[in-house]
Amino acid sequence: MFVPFFRIIKFALQNFWRNIWLSLITISILVLTLVTVNILITLNFLGQTAVESVESKIDVSVYFNPDASEEAVQNVRSYLLGLSQVKDVNYISAEEALEKFRESHADNEEIMASLEELEENPLGAALVIKAHNPNDYTFILETLDNPEFISFIQDKNYDDHKEIIERIDSITGKLQRFGIGLSAVFVIIAVLIVFNTIRVAVYTHREEVGIMKLVGATNWFVRAPFLLEGIIYSLIATGITIAIIYPAAYFAEPYITTFFDNVTVGLVDYYNVNFILIFVSQFVGMSLLNIISTGFALDRYLKV
Amino acid sequence: MIRLKNVSKIYRPNTVGLQNVSLHIKPGDFVSVVGQSGTGKTTLVKLLIAEERPSKGNVVIGGWDISRIRQSDVPTLRRQIGVVFQDFKLLPKKTVFENVSFALEVCGTPSGRMRKIVPQVMKIVGLEEKMKRYPRQLSGGEQQRVVIARSLVHRPKILVADEPTGNLDSINTKEIIDLLKKINEFGTTVLLVTHNREVVNSLRKRVITLEDGVIVQDQEEGKYRL
Repeated sequence: MFVPFFRIIKFALQNFWRNIWLSLITISILVLTLVTVNILITLNFLGQTAVESVESKIDVSVYFNPDASEEAVQNVRSYLLGLSQVKDVNYISAEEALEKFRESHADNEEIMASLEELEENPLGAALVIKAHNPNDYTFILETLDNPEFISFIQDKNYDDHKEIIERIDSITGKLQRFGIGLSAVFVIIAVLIVFNTIRVAVYTHREEVGIMKLVGATNWFVRAPFLLEGIIYSLIATGITIAIIYPAAYFAEPYITTFFDNVTVGLVDYYNVNFILIFVSQFVGMSLLNIISTGFALDRYLKV
Repeated sequence: MIRLKNVSKIYRPNTVGLQNVSLHIKPGDFVSVVGQSGTGKTTLVKLLIAEERPSKGNVVIGGWDISRIRQSDVPTLRRQIGVVFQDFKLLPKKTVFENVSFALEVCGTPSGRMRKIVPQVMKIVGLEEKMKRYPRQLSGGEQQRVVIARSLVHRPKILVADEPTGNLDSINTKEIIDLLKKINEFGTTVLLVTHNREVVNSLRKRVITLEDGVIVQDQEEGKYRL
């Protein structure tokens, strides 16, 4: 059983070597396809990271009337913490709010002068709410329209971040669709190239294959070297792709980190953690494509 | 050994390859099949190696009805029938040894066994000294002998030779025919398809004559009559 198996490997490697230029061109096309797919994966990851980064900064502030008691504010806080959608609620006292207001408007002389004239703190306490899912903010704020609380609440803010998230989602979505389209084009090109390569290899070996069939080689023995050759193409192409992607990711990471305001993106870590999912599945997918192309070419041109 | 019963082969749309052919070739026979071009000789060969299926009738080889043989069983059949064609079909980049052993290689034979069998068949065809040569370094007759050697590696019970001397001069032709007779003496059934008059007449063996896909003559000690 091992003898035929090693023979098949020997024939496959012979085929590969004897058509070396054709093999290299095929591998190049497969590498281009896989690199495109990986660029798509990277863009998808970066898009998601961007969204998560903005989402993590999102919070909603609820401003209370200056005359709302601390007890009332804490009641609202307790109520909010009881909601499953709420991750955290941070209490800012009226004094802290005033201090923050002074800091953020320190350059504005008019506002500072107005504050000096006022005898009392014009600001009330505030609650800063963080949700597990930004999509829940609307619901959370709607619950505060409860008559029990509405009389204490002066204002709520959320809309600015919502717009940013929608824009990022939109850009990411467009990039994804473009990437998928581009990858699909490359996959089709790869399939056609592999089909043509195998067709040429089959044609080149038609005499040999004819003799093989004449002397009693099984169809499996005739087909297997070509199928194995397709898998060899996939293996080499995946290896080269890994050799391109990892250095590119290492090189790009500092620039990406700068782009994200020094937030560590972890692109290389992402590839490390998902190595099997990303590269093994690409190898398997590419091998399957090659096997199907090869099988079709053999059926068509050899009646094997 | 070989039995055809009312075999017809019609190529679409309505070209007749063979028409209602019945014949019986016993084990150990040496039979020449003669006829002009297009009379069905090659069709007969193709039916015997299951490259074509009969449109009607039965083809039985060694008790095995191959008329509707499954594609997966064809390799097994072909290991039992040695085939020699006119246009040699040797691989130019392989040595004589590699060409002959190729028939064993593709059937999964271990290397050790190949190294025993190949010299044996090369001795039968008288080329044991030229195993390391390439086909281009041999004469036409020698190349054909290599093909015969390759067809013998599986020790087939039947050897089908389709115009084996078609590209050869008279001296090489005689060498090949003598070799086929020698193989026949070992007990192998030989079916020689030819339109070489001198060969057929010198053999004094059974001659089956085909004309328009039909057997018109079948003589035990026949002559070439067309």
